[in-house]
Amino acid sequence: MTKDKSKRLSDWEKKFTKEVKIETSQEFFHETDEGININPLYTQEDLLDYTFNDINTLPGEWPYTRGPKASMYTNRPWTVRQYAGFSTAEESNKFYKKNLEAGQMGLSVAFDLPTHRGYDSDDELVMGDVGKAGVAIDSVEDMKILFDGIPLDKMSVSMTMNGAVLPVLAAFIVAGEEQGLDKKVLSGTIQNDILKEFMVRNTYIYPPEPSMRLVADIIEYTAREMPKFNSISISGYHMQEAGANNVQELAFTLADGMEYVRAALSKGLAVDDFAPRLSFFFAIGTDFFMEIAKLRAARTLWAKIMKDFGATNEKSLTLRTHCQTSGVSLTEKDPYNNIVRTSYEALSAVLGGTQSLHTNSFDEAIALPTEFSSRIARNTQLILQNETGVTNTVDPLAGSYFVEKLTEDMCSAAWKIIEEVEELGGMTKAVAAGMPKLSIEESATKKQAKIDSGKQVVVGVNKFKNPKEPKIDVLVIDNEKVREDQIIKITNLKKNRNPKDLEDCLSRITDMAKNNSGNLLALSIEAIRARATVGEVSKALEDAFGRHYATNVGVSGVYGKFFEKDAKFMDIQNKINNFEKENGRRPRVLIVKMGQDGHDRGAKIVATSFADLGFDIDMGPLFQSPKDVAKDAIENDVHAIGVSTLAAGHKTLVPELMKSLKEIDKNNKITVFVGGVIPEQDYQFLYDNNVSAIFGPGTSILDSAEEVIKLISKKD
Amino acid sequence: MQDLKNRIIAGERAAIAKAITIVESSREEDIALSHELISELIKSPGHAIRVGFSGPPGVGKSTFIEAFGSYIVNKDFKLGVLAIDPSSNFTGGSILGDKTRMSEISKNENTFIRSTPSRGSLGGIAVGTREAAIILDAAGYDYIFIETVGVGQSEITAANLVDIFTLIVGPGSGDELQGIKKGITEYADMFIVNKYDGDLATQASKTASDYKSALSFYSKNSDDIETQVVLVSSIENKGMDEVLDTFDKIVEFNKANNRFKARRESQLAYWLEEEVRNKILLRLSKEQGIPELIESEVQSIISGKTGFYSASKNIIDTFLGKK
Ligand code: B12
Ligand SMILES: Nc1nc2c(ncn2[C@@H]2O[C@H](COP(=O)(O)OP(=O)(O)O)[C@@H](O)[C@H]2O)c(=O)[nH]1
Ligand SMILES: [Mg+2]
Repeated sequence: MTKDKSKRLSDWEKKFTKEVKIETSQEFFHETDEGININPLYTQEDLLDYTFNDINTLPGEWPYTRGPKASMYTNRPWTVRQYAGFSTAEESNKFYKKNLEAGQMGLSVAFDLPTHRGYDSDDELVMGDVGKAGVAIDSVEDMKILFDGIPLDKMSVSMTMNGAVLPVLAAFIVAGEEQGLDKKVLSGTIQNDILKEFMVRNTYIYPPEPSMRLVADIIEYTAREMPKFNSISISGYHMQEAGANNVQELAFTLADGMEYVRAALSKGLAVDDFAPRLSFFFAIGTDFFMEIAKLRAARTLWAKIMKDFGATNEKSLTLRTHCQTSGVSLTEKDPYNNIVRTSYEALSAVLGGTQSLHTNSFDEAIALPTEFSSRIARNTQLILQNETGVTNTVDPLAGSYFVEKLTEDMCSAAWKIIEEVEELGGMTKAVAAGMPKLSIEESATKKQAKIDSGKQVVVGVNKFKNPKEPKIDVLVIDNEKVREDQIIKITNLKKNRNPKDLEDCLSRITDMAKNNSGNLLALSIEAIRARATVGEVSKALEDAFGRHYATNVGVSGVYGKFFEKDAKFMDIQNKINNFEKENGRRPRVLIVKMGQDGHDRGAKIVATSFADLGFDIDMGPLFQSPKDVAKDAIENDVHAIGVSTLAAGHKTLVPELMKSLKEIDKNNKITVFVGGVIPEQDYQFLYDNNVSAIFGPGTSILDSAEEVIKLISKKD
Repeated sequence: MQDLKNRIIAGERAAIAKAITIVESSREEDIALSHELISELIKSPGHAIRVGFSGPPGVGKSTFIEAFGSYIVNKDFKLGVLAIDPSSNFTGGSILGDKTRMSEISKNENTFIRSTPSRGSLGGIAVGTREAAIILDAAGYDYIFIETVGVGQSEITAANLVDIFTLIVGPGSGDELQGIKKGITEYADMFIVNKYDGDLATQASKTASDYKSALSFYSKNSDDIETQVVLVSSIENKGMDEVLDTFDKIVEFNKANNRFKARRESQLAYWLEEEVRNKILLRLSKEQGIPELIESEVQSIISGKTGFYSASKNIIDTFLGKK
């Protein structure tokens, strides 16, 4: 540093400390959720000789920090790709076509939970879930309807499918075939990222090991047969949504990527044969610069990782990614604020250099989007592309002292975690040991504590509340009707097929699955052609692999630690102690997830926080039926059941639960309350079904605990 | 109470559950009720075989009970499970997680699964576990499984609750072997070496043979049945038949030798003694003047006015009214 510069810097510091009335500017660090220190000022002096980030490189040049391509958006803007799907294939098809006419550029299919988990719509187990949180696809016939009038050789299609990935991808390929298209021309992406399902997304079907084989089979098959199709979308998005901070998201995603590369290599493929078709998916939350730095860091590290795997093809070295703005940052309260949040997040994704983007609708925390809310979400991107000029310059933030330094900080923090994972033997082993899941849950719990304590402001939720909440329209799906329609279609399908061919295909699938040789996607395509349903193919695989049941080990003490000596926290603890004195035991609450809804972030956070407060918490496993829950509740003589429901099954599942409780003990006095995503329109329905309280998104856990204690004290 | 008893004997799920709450409760009325109820139920015992599963956290006790429980229930036995969950946290609350590993058996009509937080109590046994087993027995369950966290010597408390006491161990480095002292074989009827699968299979079978040879070293009396070692995988359902066969063998042998009954009788003696000891301690802490006396004796010891042992004798004599 020159003498002059150093003097000017110390002058700045003097002025700064005087203005903010502190001793040194070091006191003014802001520590992010990731544990990274953010300085109040960055200067040229921060542009050091970094380990990972070489600030002198150009876009489209190793290590691709500045973008996978030289031209980026100046040539072609990012793809506006909105994730959508609901009800039947017919309904979703109509919706897709309208969106494409209105400026959307690519499709992204959201399947319903039964499809995700490999059950047909006529399966008793999934009554409440059909068509609710995505589109129900039972066979190739549904898939054909879904893309009716949409030429699959021109439209790139992304499909979020992981558990039932074989029959669904097969159905897509056969649907193309029956549109008269060779599979070679199909372009798009299949998510096919099973590791993060075990960590956070919860739509796995089979145990980890055979699941990894399916991933490898798909990479192998598409590498040979479908040159324009991305064989996998290695996803960090769901991790951030489940509570991971940005460093965790980045590190675990890249570590997952390494594991998939190894899986593909084990199939005998050469790295450059498949690596160009690996794609990524990240979430973009509200921490504006951090998100930009994350995408730049992701490209930098991936290039290094792939080089170490011996890749030489430039396409293998470059990380291409889809991004989605964060749903969890959006609020049920004062929902129009969400339009603003989403806009900032979208800008962040674009400045980070994403290849495609989904922007969320403002009714995110209430229900699936309506036509109105989706239009605004889509237009958010169209305005960004057409009106703001952000597409005119490649990587416009390069050279920013702050952004470059943050990029380096992200790289080195993530690399540390990646090394930890590698030490555990790679991501499959780390996942089996529960390491990533636990650390994500810890972050999620901390986040909740920060919000509940007001340390982190969420406008309209814990500060600047709107005294007059607006009424908004919500999308209502009649799942009974969807189910009936699907059952008719399944019945027809089953009438018009050759049972012998079908049986033959299915038993060959089971055999091949058992024998651990051959390509299961190729065989699934035959089965789907023979009109097997998604459920039947899944079952044939299950017969060989078994079904995976996750076990819950949660964090403990994380929430409580945040509230040491907090008056309200201690007051609730006292109430619980008094309850124990009066009742001879602690208040006991069973927290459950019913149906196929795998959103467990809320349930787990509430469980661990309630336990910290002094409740005895029974934690049910995922995917329980109302009947199982009732038995569990009665046998453990709990005071209350807390139903956490986010995937819109509540109007079917909660009444079923009430009925089941009565069946076992007609005099039961168990208090039932409900938490999660419940549109206000449904509140009265739930109260009429004897639900005692409803806790929606944004609820402070302390408030809910207080209410629960009050409710159960009245009864005992 | 009579009503509750009848409903339990009729096997009514809600009644069994309420009764267990009562025997676990610290509320005065409940304690009185519990005494009455248990005294009654003991008079009409069922036929249940009570099995204890002990072992360090994470060896797979809950997972084993899920696998083996499914096996048993498929043979049309009725199964009660009492899982003493170790997961109490610093504020006194807890998350009961054992059951999440028992999702299959939980669903079954022929099971009753109850978790109880251990609250760090000694022997991995919670207040009321023994009584809860009596209730399930009276309700007609064929098997009652008790899952407890084994922590060294305290296992004896758990062993005194059951007809068959098993220790579950993992494929270990052999460290646990040092835990096999002569004493343990006297109350462990069986070792189950779990996780005999995948990468761990070789290690598990080595552990099993290590146990076998260690056990032969500490041989029991010649007329006694050998402590059994069985290899299982709870996630691949391997070895379940062998475990059940071994149970049958142990029960048969013990019944033939009159040990089965003798063991229950000595357990009764153990519990009676335990009950008396606890009640005396409780009375001691509540008896008029005694807590104050203890306090002042402590001061006297500190100031050198009284010796430690004579202080103790003085307190006991005063308590027993000998002074
Ligand atoms: C995070 C998230 C995910 C994560 C879930 C990670 C995880 N492991 O939980 C990921 C990305 C994996 C995911 C996936 C999907 N999601 Co999602 N997701 C969300 C999102 C954005 C936030 C939910 C959340 O975790 N919030 C944070 C927690 C702390 O809040 P919470 O659960 O609401 O809990 C609070 C209160 O509700 C209450 N509470 C909740 N439970 C309980 C229980 C008790 C006892 C008490 C006292 C209180 C209480 O207290 C908590 C603290 O404040 C919501 C939208 C939103 N903003 O709410 C969509 C949302 C729930 N998802 C949705 C959908 C459709 C899906 C998918 C089915 C999409 C698809 N077709 O593939 C998948 C499938 C997931 C699955 N397996 O079920 C829809 C559901 C639509 C509907 N209800 O009509 C929503 C509403 C978004 C939308 N509008 O489209 N999702
Ligand atoms: N490989 C393997 N893992 C097992 C087996 N049984 C249990 N586990 C795993 O061991 C861990 C602890 O199991 P759990 O039943 O909770 O143990 P507990 O604390 O003794 O009740 C879990 O991750 C189980 O999945 C087994 O037979 N084989
Ligand atoms: Mg356990």
